[in-house]
Amino acid sequence: MEIQSCVSILNEWDIVAARQLGRNVAKELGFGTVDQARITTAISELARNIYLYAGEGQLCIDRLNENGKAGLRIIALDKGPGIPDIRKVMEDGFSTSGGLGAGLPGVRRLMDDFNIDSNPGEGTDIRATKWLR
Amino acid sequence: MNIKVDITEQREDFARLEIAGEIDAYTAPALREKTEPLSKQEGIHVVADLSDVSYMDSTGIGVFVGLFKGIKANGGHLQLIGLSDRLKRLFDITGLADIMDINSEVKGGME
Amino acid sequence: MNKQETLEAQYSKILQEYMNNQSEQALYAAQQFSRTALAKKVPPEEVISLQKNAMQQLMPDLSPEVWHSFDILLEVMTAYGFAFREHQSLLDTQKELKNEMEIASNVQDTLLGTSVPTVDGLEIGALSVPAKQMNGDYYHFVHDGDHSVNVAIADVIGKGIPAALCMSMIKYAMDSLPEYRKDPSAVLESLNRVVEQNIDDSMFITMFYGMYELRSNILHFASAGHEPGFFYRGKDKEFLDLEARGLLLGVDKNAKYKRYEQAVEVGDMVILMSDGVTECRTDEGFIERETLISYINEYIELPPQEIVNKIFRDLERLQHFQLRDDFTIIILKRTK
Repeated sequence: MEIQSCVSILNEWDIVAARQLGRNVAKELGFGTVDQARITTAISELARNIYLYAGEGQLCIDRLNENGKAGLRIIALDKGPGIPDIRKVMEDGFSTSGGLGAGLPGVRRLMDDFNIDSNPGEGTDIRATKWLR
Repeated sequence: MNIKVDITEQREDFARLEIAGEIDAYTAPALREKTEPLSKQEGIHVVADLSDVSYMDSTGIGVFVGLFKGIKANGGHLQLIGLSDRLKRLFDITGLADIMDINSEVKGGME
Repeated sequence: MNKQETLEAQYSKILQEYMNNQSEQALYAAQQFSRTALAKKVPPEEVISLQKNAMQQLMPDLSPEVWHSFDILLEVMTAYGFAFREHQSLLDTQKELKNEMEIASNVQDTLLGTSVPTVDGLEIGALSVPAKQMNGDYYHFVHDGDHSVNVAIADVIGKGIPAALCMSMIKYAMDSLPEYRKDPSAVLESLNRVVEQNIDDSMFITMFYGMYELRSNILHFASAGHEPGFFYRGKDKEFLDLEARGLLLGVDKNAKYKRYEQAVEVGDMVILMSDGVTECRTDEGFIERETLISYINEYIELPPQEIVNKIFRDLERLQHFQLRDDFTIIILKRTK
């Protein structure tokens, strides 16, 4: 069962809208305030990456229910330049040197599951899930 | 541990560098970064003034050898001036004094 | 879950105690608490949550503005938590790298291993200590029957892994030139060509190569930009520079290396070292060659291995036990 809602990311204000969407869903699903803050921080990072490096894209929030376990999935999609070397952007310390994919390892650590798919010239698809404990 | 590298003059065919401080494993990367572009200029004459270099170890020698080879490969010339006895000794021991232009007189008003 | 509850209970207790009497003891308890929390890798946003929950229990009637203020604090601290997790992860990576370095250093020891030859009439002492885990200095002995003892001492510019990798190359280049082994200038000329072709422009190697002829007791040697060694004349108790000129390996592929000779009498010594010895920095500046001589002089009557050990110990202390460069010293002494 997946119910999805999305926000288009075109400018910086859309990051706020994406956060608001994520926070509302997180609250409804029963996440505590600490996890809400983690989820919105992850959304911020992913939406900011779209805004800064892809120019435009979409940020969607899924409600998940798997084997009675509730969860929230963030999906960040863009048709930007893509990431040539995913392993490199998943290395710590890469974000500080600037460039593509700032803060991705951090997002992975804030969430429970993390998946990234990217092809140069085609864009990037990042999915990060947090499960309700 | 500090280094100061100033390019005090730069024309198409001439550059003058003033280097001050210590050249060792920690500061050598900064020196290399600053000087590397010079070695790519065709036929350039580079004068590096080391009068205010208080210390240099073998890593520093490495930077100058790299610079020397780079400049020479592009038909240019590297001249090191103002070396203290201690620094001069490093170039003597390593045999570089025989192949590099070290502590020679700088001609007034470069062409 | 359980860990969370106990932390929450502990925090609440400390907070309550402090609200009652503002004692130093409660503050100390808070410090102890943070020690536990850090050990359990509790991120900062979690601590804000502990504070908020404890406050809600202890002072439920505070104004809504106070509770709202926690949201801002929580948001800010989540970003700190982001950095905290990265730090933790970098620490783990560092630990892995350290382990790998240790293994690499063992591999290096095996690869570059050389044993000090036992020769009747010639006592030899040798010591090489890396500044970091991997050594960019290198020495190698070859004992050629009754004919000669050959010794090479080399120093790669730079330290650590790049230097160590470079050294492995030199070692193999040397192993593959057995026919040239006897002539120091030919050895250096061959190695120079190998190095010139294979390494980066700003990397190079200094090397001293000596061949000690056992029958004639003559040391034949050549140097590629290496720090000059000393020759100790036992009869006059004086130190001379073992002067030899030659260009660093890897700068010019056509470089020529002149061969020098030194006759060695009973009681004479040949002292070779890397620039980690003479470039050793102390509070008073650099070790001068004269200072080094005075140190050697102090132990001159001891067997060569003991001399090198004691010199290293002294210089290590002078540098407050922090080596800035790899350190290698070799002494050959003719005893009969």
